[in-house]
Amino acid sequence: MTSVLTLKNVKKTIKRKTIINGLSFSVLEGEVFGFLGPNGAGKTTTIRMIVGLMEISEGDIVICGKSIKDDFTGAIRHIGAIVENPEMYKFLTGYQNLMQYARMHNGISKGKIAEVVELVGLTDRIHEKVKTYSLGMHQRLGLAQCLLHDPKLLILDEPTNGLDPAGIREIRDHLRMLTRERGMSVIVSSHLLSEMELMCDRIAIIQNGELIDVQTVNEFIDGETALFSFETGLINKPEVTWLKSEWDATITESGFTVETAREKIPGLIKKLTAKGVDLYGVKTIAKTLEDRFLEVTSK
Amino acid sequence: MGKLIINEWVKLFRRAGTMVLVGIVILMVLGIGAFLKYEEIQNPPQENQNWKQDLTVQIEGDRAALEETGQNNANLKMFYERQIAINEYQIEHDLAPETNYNVWSFISENMGAIGFIGVFTIIIAAGMVSSEFSWGTIKLLLIRPMNRSKILLSKYITVVLFGVMMLTILYVVSAVVGLALFGLPEESLPHLAFVNGEVVERSLFLNLIGEYFLSSIDVLMLATMAFMISAVFRNSSLAIGLSLFLMFMGSSITMLLAARYEWAKYILFANTNLAVYFDGVPPVEGMTLTFSIVMLFLYFVLFQLLAFFVFSKRDVAA
Repeated sequence: MTSVLTLKNVKKTIKRKTIINGLSFSVLEGEVFGFLGPNGAGKTTTIRMIVGLMEISEGDIVICGKSIKDDFTGAIRHIGAIVENPEMYKFLTGYQNLMQYARMHNGISKGKIAEVVELVGLTDRIHEKVKTYSLGMHQRLGLAQCLLHDPKLLILDEPTNGLDPAGIREIRDHLRMLTRERGMSVIVSSHLLSEMELMCDRIAIIQNGELIDVQTVNEFIDGETALFSFETGLINKPEVTWLKSEWDATITESGFTVETAREKIPGLIKKLTAKGVDLYGVKTIAKTLEDRFLEVTSK
Repeated sequence: MGKLIINEWVKLFRRAGTMVLVGIVILMVLGIGAFLKYEEIQNPPQENQNWKQDLTVQIEGDRAALEETGQNNANLKMFYERQIAINEYQIEHDLAPETNYNVWSFISENMGAIGFIGVFTIIIAAGMVSSEFSWGTIKLLLIRPMNRSKILLSKYITVVLFGVMMLTILYVVSAVVGLALFGLPEESLPHLAFVNGEVVERSLFLNLIGEYFLSSIDVLMLATMAFMISAVFRNSSLAIGLSLFLMFMGSSITMLLAARYEWAKYILFANTNLAVYFDGVPPVEGMTLTFSIVMLFLYFVLFQLLAFFVFSKRDVAA
């Protein structure tokens, strides 16, 4: 797979203070790339450098083979972006807002605008002034604005900020559709971990302006061992001692939990039944992204 | 580039505030017209049969004043010389002063409203860049395949177009209202101008257009300055405040300084009124039209360079 965006040892210094310290990574074609980090880690600064709102102090950013430093217009034409909130001209209608941006790219037809409006589901309200729009409609208009010129790379900074669950779901579905059907790549930044887990294929964690880790979502969560919870009837003393010493189990109200590799579970169940423990259920407690995130960033 | 200017134009005129400014100019012309018409009906103008004697008396008075004060003050000297020459010319060529109010006098009267147009243009110029920052829309504007300098240039051109449009509206509305209320003069009199110690006849119509053009030069310079402040500091209040202050106070301060110091001729406001070179007296002796044009050009380039340099380099963090 070809990479759409490449950061090469990017640094940003503001007033002699290093904000971003040597970021390097690539975003591949057709993937949703998550950009995760606590507040103030440098997510927004990095995104502002990618879209050319901020100058790069050192290093380079290449978009579809064009450097944002040397060929700004050549590089930026492949990007559609929302940086933080999608602020629109409130005194214009949604359509007039889109026209503003359509005039700044070459060859965007009326049909294309209508198609994009339809896609984000704003057809009914597009001719109303933006000041009458709800937050969700603002987000949808923002999305329409960055899809007008069929960009190769979509950059959404905190796209679900302030949206209700239905709105978040909607954005997620749009992103899936755009990457699967149109082969777009998407960068999403957020500090909402549960959401990133559902949206992204790969996630980069940054902290204090440095890249800590890039992993695909599944391996990121699973790791080697997992936590299993057993629901049992009453366990007698000898069995409790056995569980604690052999399996390092933790006794809970409804049974016990064990951290172990998946393939050892059947053996454990057999032994439990042989010892006469009543077993009602076994389930994995998947480590959430949140746990992993806190684990990684607190190192 | 054309499309960028269309964008700016749309943003400008879809706001109610802009239309209010246009409306004020039109209403003002109508108001002045109604007031003057009312005055004219109350006190109908009298034909003055003895205008030649009156002018002769005035000439003598001016001569005496010239003897007395004129020699010490170059400006006053030029002023009296001009008065005397024009009055003598009128007597000599039998050109009675116009007593009936007509469309030309009305258009000339409304030249005072260019000050308002200046204020309005400064307000527009001051908001041009800074409001994109305060709305937050600058982030969506600058991530298009357009160089920042192109975007800034389109904004500046829009400001200039706005000023030109307001001036045209003022001139045309004045002409229409003036024609409707006061009509054309009975005989078409020329405009008498005093150039290089000689009296010259000029067409009134062309002279008025020329005067409108010349009086808008300081509007252009101040609007350019407001635009620069807006682009550099991203603060429209500062841009409006400073520009308006200089607009109202700049020329008086300059005149005060010009009476004492020769370097006052390098101040922007000593050079904005180019009309003095066609019909009048420059603020500092020895200033020429070329000098003023060069000074204006230098200020203009300075403002533009500042605006473009800061705007293209700036990190957008808002």
